[in-house]
Amino acid sequence: MNVPTEAYVALSGVLFAIGALGVLVRRSAIMVFLSVELMLNAANLAIVAYARHWAGFDAMAGLNGQTVVFIVLAVAAAEVAVGLAILIAIFRDRASTDVDGLAEVRL
Amino acid sequence: MVTFVVLAAVMIVGALGVVLLRQPVHAALSLVGTLLTLAVTYVTLEAHFLAAVQVIVYAGAIMVLFLFVLMLLNVQDVGPRRSLPGLRWAAYATAVVTATAIAAVAFWDGRPAPDPAVVSAHLQGGSAGGIADALFGELLLAFHLVGVLLLTGVVGAVALVQRRAESAFGAPKGTGLPERPGSLPDADDRRSLGSGGRR
Repeated sequence: MNVPTEAYVALSGVLFAIGALGVLVRRSAIMVFLSVELMLNAANLAIVAYARHWAGFDAMAGLNGQTVVFIVLAVAAAEVAVGLAILIAIFRDRASTDVDGLAEVRL
Repeated sequence: MVTFVVLAAVMIVGALGVVLLRQPVHAALSLVGTLLTLAVTYVTLEAHFLAAVQVIVYAGAIMVLFLFVLMLLNVQDVGPRRSLPGLRWAAYATAVVTATAIAAVAFWDGRPAPDPAVVSAHLQGGSAGGIADALFGELLLAFHLVGVLLLTGVVGAVALVQRRAESAFGAPKGTGLPERPGSLPDADDRRSLGSGGRR
């Protein structure tokens, strides 16, 4: 029943690495974005696991950790809204979301 | 422990599906499965409210937005074109090294787990009441800032996807922007909906 915190953190690291792999190998910008979501959720899993660990020593620490994950969810929602808007704007201009072709999108 | 191993296996398979499946819709659905499994993992970590929020907000709202945009843009999987030789293998090596390093450090620096009974008593099952105590108590500033952030996000998203007023009269030349095909907003509208064959 009592799975150690290390197991959850290791799983979180594996998920994060898979997400990073997706950012590196996928060429469609929307797939890169999906992989970033995977990395965000891996970080959330680590925070929840540590929150459970620290709840053993301090009641408020555990609940604070879970609340931080709640705030991260809200930030992720805002990020998705803006990111998908940027993707749609890019797609309107060039009818493609290939990240290799976006070299001139900079100031 | 068995529950955790099963959940971890499903989650890793789903994550690999996100990265390796060629159809974008399949990859997005694979991510939905991964997020739902993550919600179950939150339950095993005594974060019941977060599990519910994960299903509603992430697997529900955010992934629906993703699928909506995927189908709106009708993204096709383009063929492989390597800009740098060996880039793919370098990426795989990076992922394997990262995963191994994080997992090894986690186990190498393992701490003794606290008493499960104490944890359960302190977390109160991760209920909405406990989360609210923290959110409207110690983290009240973060709560306010998230409100500002969400408002900024909404305004930013609207500003990014709206059409500029001058595009109806033809964009001025030499602005450095690539010229849009079809300067009439009506034609542009239909084009952006991605319904390629209907025009």
